[in-house]
Amino acid sequence: MSLFGMLLTELRARRGAVGVLFFLGLAGLVGANVFIRPHEAEFVYDAYAGFWAVFGLVVGLALVIVMKKIVQPMISRGDDYYERNN
Amino acid sequence: MSAITSSFIHPTVGFYALALILPFLRGKAWKWLLLIPPVIAIWSVMTVSPGFYGELNYLGQKLMMGRVDKLSLVFAQVFAVMSLIGMVYALHVEDKLQHIMACVYVGGAFGCTFAGDLLTLFIFWELMSIGSTFLIWLARNPVSTKAGFRYFMYHTIGGLFLLIGLLLRYKAVGTFSFDAVDPHHLMAYDWMILLGFCVNAAVVPLHAWLPDAYPEGTVTGSVFMCAFTTKTAVYVLMRGFAGVELLAIAGTVMCVYGVLYACIENNARRILSYHIVSQVGYMVAGIGIGTAMTLNGATAHAYAHILYKGLLFMGTGCLLYAAGTTKLDKLGGLVHRMPWVMVMYMVAALSISGMPLFNGFISKTMTIVGAAEAHRTWLAIGMEVAAVGTFLSVGIKLPYFAFWAKPANDKIVLKPIPANMYVGMAMGAVLCIAQGLYPDMLYRYLPFEMEHAYHPWTVWHVLQSFMLLGFSGLAFYLTRDIITPHAKTNLDFDFFYRLIGRGVMALVCKPLAWIDDRWTEAYRVAGLSGLLTLARGTMWFDTKGIDTVVDGSAYTVQNVGVLSARVQTGRLQDYLGLAAALALCVFAAVWYFA
Repeated sequence: MSLFGMLLTELRARRGAVGVLFFLGLAGLVGANVFIRPHEAEFVYDAYAGFWAVFGLVVGLALVIVMKKIVQPMISRGDDYYERNN
Repeated sequence: MSAITSSFIHPTVGFYALALILPFLRGKAWKWLLLIPPVIAIWSVMTVSPGFYGELNYLGQKLMMGRVDKLSLVFAQVFAVMSLIGMVYALHVEDKLQHIMACVYVGGAFGCTFAGDLLTLFIFWELMSIGSTFLIWLARNPVSTKAGFRYFMYHTIGGLFLLIGLLLRYKAVGTFSFDAVDPHHLMAYDWMILLGFCVNAAVVPLHAWLPDAYPEGTVTGSVFMCAFTTKTAVYVLMRGFAGVELLAIAGTVMCVYGVLYACIENNARRILSYHIVSQVGYMVAGIGIGTAMTLNGATAHAYAHILYKGLLFMGTGCLLYAAGTTKLDKLGGLVHRMPWVMVMYMVAALSISGMPLFNGFISKTMTIVGAAEAHRTWLAIGMEVAAVGTFLSVGIKLPYFAFWAKPANDKIVLKPIPANMYVGMAMGAVLCIAQGLYPDMLYRYLPFEMEHAYHPWTVWHVLQSFMLLGFSGLAFYLTRDIITPHAKTNLDFDFFYRLIGRGVMALVCKPLAWIDDRWTEAYRVAGLSGLLTLARGTMWFDTKGIDTVVDGSAYTVQNVGVLSARVQTGRLQDYLGLAAALALCVFAAVWYFA
């Protein structure tokens, strides 16, 4: 294993700390948004702080849940349906 | 057909020359020649001055091979850069046919880009289709063979629409000229041409050939294919159909549709293929909206997209090359064994997601802001939705399940990756970051004049991007157990293509089978007895006619043979006597007749 590979393995072992940093970063972004606003709102509601945070979270959750839980069961077939795997 | 003029070396010439001489070269040193046509192409597009070059007469028509202006140059420039990266990445491949077909394909893309009329465009359009089909076939397995046939059939139909359109147009206006149409007054033939272009641009619902075929191409062939076919189509759409409202809506639909399927797909290269549909959607929408800013945004996005999408396919190509599969459910826990592949992949993944520092940030936001400024709010929101989905599936899901998820995997056997593949990826990664940091590297080549310059690096844009992507990341974190890829085939529009295909087959086969049945019956009843009578007749002729003549002459020959055999006694004195008698006869005859 290369030195870089070992570094990444170490990083993986400390995923708890990485997670904490990630959440702190998210909080920091919304905090910054209270003070930094667009010059002119593109979509009316993005004048409010945290709009894009809510947008990203809600759209992301909706995409995954709707596609994986509702749409995929309807449109998916066996892995070999088109004989693409043998 | 030479396209060389005194001041413009058409990049196609280099690629086609290489394709022609490659079969005759022996040894191994020929591989370095692969780098020459791309270098010539880069030099050519960076030094040529705008103008019209290489007009020639062919089939009684004036063809324009070299329309060089700002629009064709910016596309040709990124094609040239990508061809160099792709060739470096493919340098280890010993199968010459792959390189030849890559040359045919890439040369075709340059031909389309510089084509000044529809006939020239059509010729190179079809050459691209042939080259790319081989890049799929040359993976040399049964799956790719079938996928290649489907791909070729589909592009042939698309090409036929283009041909029908340009011929009808020629009949109506008397010229093959290729210029912008009036977006509010499209004629029937314009729609035909547009349809042909839309097939190659993978406009939903004509897109399903792309995720069907690209995952089956060769490791290096798919790197070329992801760059050229759809972006050539984007170029011709921009040249001919800027401002067509239908494209604005179709493009936004593409943006969202691609990410929806990418969310549930398992094959890494198929995820990326759906993201081509999605990313080309931004370009098509920008073309449809048709303001200077969205057109420039579409151009910039095409440029950036070619670089990062090539890099994404190179990264997943490394997975395929090393591990033998790109199925996410079979991968995972590889990060410590392929750390640099992961890093290069992430550069591209963050680029496509529009993360600040990377080139997607300076191109994607331009199109979205352009759409919002043109008061197309819903289209802009659709593009933001797609941006979230892009980061979810290409930015996090794919690398997470390919490299990170599952405990460290030390069992799977990995083939060592050749150094040139790393070099190719590094070139792409450096360009992605450089353009992200210095937008002017890209912006200075944009073809349309804007009222006010667009500045991506404002505090607000950066904050907005980080918020959007950061919280998309949070959505992934919360749904990481739901989004786990499953080995499934997700039905797409190609389900209907196959239905249509089977329908056409039935339409052709059923009547043919019916005719065949009837013919067999008629033959059995009438034909067979007729043939028997004919056979009896010929038998009679054979015994009575042929045999009499042939046998008679055979007996004559036999008798002569017996006689001459008797004469040949083998004794010298007999021969001498015979020769003397013969000479006497000759002498008597000469004396008598003279």
